[in-house]
Amino acid sequence: MIKASDVTKGTFVLINNQPHMCVEREYVNPGKGSAFVRLRLKNVKTGSVQRQTNKVQDNMEEVSVEFRDVQYLYGDDESFHFMDTRTYDQFQIAVEGEEEKRGFLKDGEVYQVVFWESRPLDIKLPTKMVFTVAQAEKAERGDTVSGATKTITCETGLKVKVPLFIKQGDRILINTETLEYQERVNA
Amino acid sequence: MDAGLRTRLEWTARFRAAIRDYFSRHGYAEVETPILAPFLIPEPAIEVFRTEFVPSKGRGPELYLAPSPELWMKRLIAQGSGSIFQISRSFRNGDCDSPLHNPEFDLLEYYTVGGSYLDSIAVTEGLFSHLLAAVDPKKPAGRLSPPFLRMTMAEGFERLAGIDLAACQETTALVRAGQARGLAFSGEPTWEEAFHIVFLSLVEPSLPREKPLVLMDYPALVPTTARRKPATPWAERWELYIDGVEIANCYSEQTDPEALQRLFADETQRKRLARVPHRTDDALPRIVASGPADVSGAALGVDRLAAVFLDEPGIGGVILYPFSTMMPPHPGTT
Repeated sequence: MIKASDVTKGTFVLINNQPHMCVEREYVNPGKGSAFVRLRLKNVKTGSVQRQTNKVQDNMEEVSVEFRDVQYLYGDDESFHFMDTRTYDQFQIAVEGEEEKRGFLKDGEVYQVVFWESRPLDIKLPTKMVFTVAQAEKAERGDTVSGATKTITCETGLKVKVPLFIKQGDRILINTETLEYQERVNA
Repeated sequence: MDAGLRTRLEWTARFRAAIRDYFSRHGYAEVETPILAPFLIPEPAIEVFRTEFVPSKGRGPELYLAPSPELWMKRLIAQGSGSIFQISRSFRNGDCDSPLHNPEFDLLEYYTVGGSYLDSIAVTEGLFSHLLAAVDPKKPAGRLSPPFLRMTMAEGFERLAGIDLAACQETTALVRAGQARGLAFSGEPTWEEAFHIVFLSLVEPSLPREKPLVLMDYPALVPTTARRKPATPWAERWELYIDGVEIANCYSEQTDPEALQRLFADETQRKRLARVPHRTDDALPRIVASGPADVSGAALGVDRLAAVFLDEPGIGGVILYPFSTMMPPHPGTT
């Protein structure tokens, strides 16, 4: 158990038997009456975020989670397959609810996975990742308006809007949270 | 000389002088009361700082750093001081990990003898007009200039949470209304706790921000020293919000000794859960009752108000040495 006042950003708690991560915490003391914390909690499984106001002395169920380095092996229709780089144990994470991660998973690449009671819960993506452009239409003549973009496809199938000068075979840096193109990293 | 620092120091000095000038011109006497107190008003949500007096012989009394100058200013009024004001260094212990809290801060308290909480709105609007003329705000003056917006707590609940607060005077009714809007209540909340959970989750985050807002007529079920509005479930209390942040709190002060004694007894009981217990000012209800019947008291966070005028996101930008930055990284580190 943990007091609501001790829950901080990054703390994992159990709400309705579902592990949630605290993504925002604000201490509020209206001065008269009781003191409270306003929390924003992200359901680790579904990704949905809920707001909650708790009395500071409320007990919450803390979840001890573990971050492990794992290698992505491959994905099929139902699951993503990984291998623990320390124990070489293989395991799967269901695609359901994590479908949007598929485009960010590269065969053989090492990621962090959050484990709770030996159950893999969530794949942590680095904030920025490099991808190779697998398919890109050539910029057509006349497409010279500043700020114009086109959509390309990366080696993982991920589709990203990029500036017109990006061509097939280029390596580009992408923000995995916003899906925004950052820069070309050919050198 | 650091020109930026100097400019900031001079601005703060002008701001404080303008506050004092306004109240002095409007018939309020400035007072200075003790920070060290042998007893305090019981306020369960406030943790205090405790210290002790060490005489050369024997053991001295336990003392507390006053979390507000209220207990002394109410004594002065009972003794016949007339309307008074004070900017007082005040101390509150416990959590302060927010941009709006610091364990020591400056509280402006102003008491209007013969006035009500409605009169104090006009006094506060006058203060803002005076400050806007006396100091250059970085925030656009139009956004701070009176008249303030006014909204009752019942209107706030109706418009922003879709809850008829007057019809939810029982805890179960209020909890059910909150649950119907997706809120979770742990354990068995009291009415006051359920009220604050709904208020802090659904109402406060959506309060209008285009002008300073007087949120008035708080539920009488929230225990304070505010007088009840006759024949209603509301108390004669308002809070001033700017950009969603609470800046000031005001009551038509309760002067009925029995009501005050009941409040003090209940609050002393709840105060037993406090991490830093303190002796209670048992004499105050009787003292207040011996003074004028109609008094309005307001408390305003000076650092928060300065932050608003300077368009700073928190009080860290106006306090010279914020607590969080002056603490060494580890105990004992030099």
